[in-house]
Amino acid sequence: MENFRPEELIVEHGSESSRIYANLRRTLPQVPVKFVDDIGSDANTHFAHRDPFGAAKKKLYLTRYKGDFFKKCPGSDGQVCCNYFVINFASNCPMDCSYCYLQEYLLDNASLKVFSNVDDLIDEADRTLQKHRGVFFRIGTGEITDSLALEPYTGMVRELIPYFAEQLNVLLELKTKSDCVDSILDLDPKGRVVVAWSMNPQPVIDLDERGTASFDDRLVAARRCQDAGYRLGFHFDPMIEYRGWEADYQTMLEQIFATIDWHRLSWLSLGVLRETPRLKRMMRERFPHSRLLTGEQVLCPDGKMRYFQPLRVEMYRKMVAWIRRAAPTVKIYLCMESRDVWQQVFGFAPACEKELGNQMAPVD
Amino acid sequence: MSESEIRAYAQGRGFHDQTLTRWLGWERTDRDALGELASGLKIGENHLRDMMDWLEDTASRDHAKISQILATKAISDLSTDPRLGRADKVKRIKEHLRRLRFPRLAQTEDEIRTRIQSLKLHPEIRVSVPPGLEGGRLHVEFTATSATELLTIAGKLRAAAETSLAPEIFELLAGTHREKERE
Repeated sequence: MENFRPEELIVEHGSESSRIYANLRRTLPQVPVKFVDDIGSDANTHFAHRDPFGAAKKKLYLTRYKGDFFKKCPGSDGQVCCNYFVINFASNCPMDCSYCYLQEYLLDNASLKVFSNVDDLIDEADRTLQKHRGVFFRIGTGEITDSLALEPYTGMVRELIPYFAEQLNVLLELKTKSDCVDSILDLDPKGRVVVAWSMNPQPVIDLDERGTASFDDRLVAARRCQDAGYRLGFHFDPMIEYRGWEADYQTMLEQIFATIDWHRLSWLSLGVLRETPRLKRMMRERFPHSRLLTGEQVLCPDGKMRYFQPLRVEMYRKMVAWIRRAAPTVKIYLCMESRDVWQQVFGFAPACEKELGNQMAPVD
Repeated sequence: MSESEIRAYAQGRGFHDQTLTRWLGWERTDRDALGELASGLKIGENHLRDMMDWLEDTASRDHAKISQILATKAISDLSTDPRLGRADKVKRIKEHLRRLRFPRLAQTEDEIRTRIQSLKLHPEIRVSVPPGLEGGRLHVEFTATSATELLTIAGKLRAAAETSLAPEIFELLAGTHREKERE
């Protein structure tokens, strides 16, 4: 995976006393630093660029987050939800996948930001978790950033794991396309942390997942995390349909199950390529030759385009069959799919999001 | 068709700026080919936008030029067919472009349609599938003016559901028909 070297580190006053700032200065000593009172206007300079979203990834901002860190995952209208919560400790990502929904979601606020007030994040999480001891929380950190891509520089996750490892009603999920796990291997996750990889075959990575770790490097990192006591997850999402996809995905699964002890997998998820028509227009502008643009996608009731239903159900059923051959009882769920699709793939659909969320709880 | 003619056409039909900008952003031969078709058939913005989406994607997928797609015999035959009115020409050309863009979806729709026709249902029973086959459900609609007629229709519907065609339709909707073929 390529090293991240921002052109500039822009620090909002008030963040220079944080541990994250100290880590950034130590790990990126050659990067020029600028201090500002308010990142507001500075954070919009990428708009002048021909490719604003791409340009926004080249500077790194360090600021305090002023809103609520802890949120319910919004899911997608009318789709079966997995009762997921999210904590955002950064915004945007140094990688640049063709299909990334952040291109649309962060259009007006695309600057790459890391939030320095980790203690506030932990305080807020603690208040919620203490107040609702009877509720099981599956919490993700990879909604609007990659959970680990910046870890070698910020040390953010290393700050979070010791707290979440002590919470009995939590699974913290770190979702990544990186191989940046060195700094967390000596910590004891106590069964409360899942490191999850978004996986695609190498031909998909080569074409549409710029700046990410290779498939082999992701798999090696996953094995190292499993050996270090972490739970693992894999998200086959977005699955891409192309001539020869079956052979590539089948080989990918065989390699994963030859490397990982599937009995210690927390979950696998499946989801096909999906985007709003607006995101598709943005993809066409930024990556006009991507084959992702020419799949047989139709507009679904939730406003997202997906491969037409018989095609994607066939893809899911094949993936489930290949997974089940190697890992008969591993938990598999569909991401952002309707009850109809669940029914066609598995022969059942969860009665409610609570049911699906509870199925993901650890069995200790 | 020159740029100024395209501008005038778009302005005359009240197109949004972004549609015009997109159209004018095409290579000249592509831009002009669509211009000829659009002006000849007085194609409105919504139809034109759909056609632009499908043309761009098909050309990209097939490494072809949009002007080459629009110059095919199928398009030429449809746009000059004296038996068709203007609206029907637009409708048929759009359907042709849609089928080029979504060949497997169109094939699945055809296979379902063929089976529905083979059910030879009572004329009062209308069976359809959702656009893009999204939802995986078959829509069955019928009307009756008496209990006797209702019983007759229900009996014919039941008979149709008991044929081997009905499960095949649902297998096509669920994407499982190829699994059966492999077995």
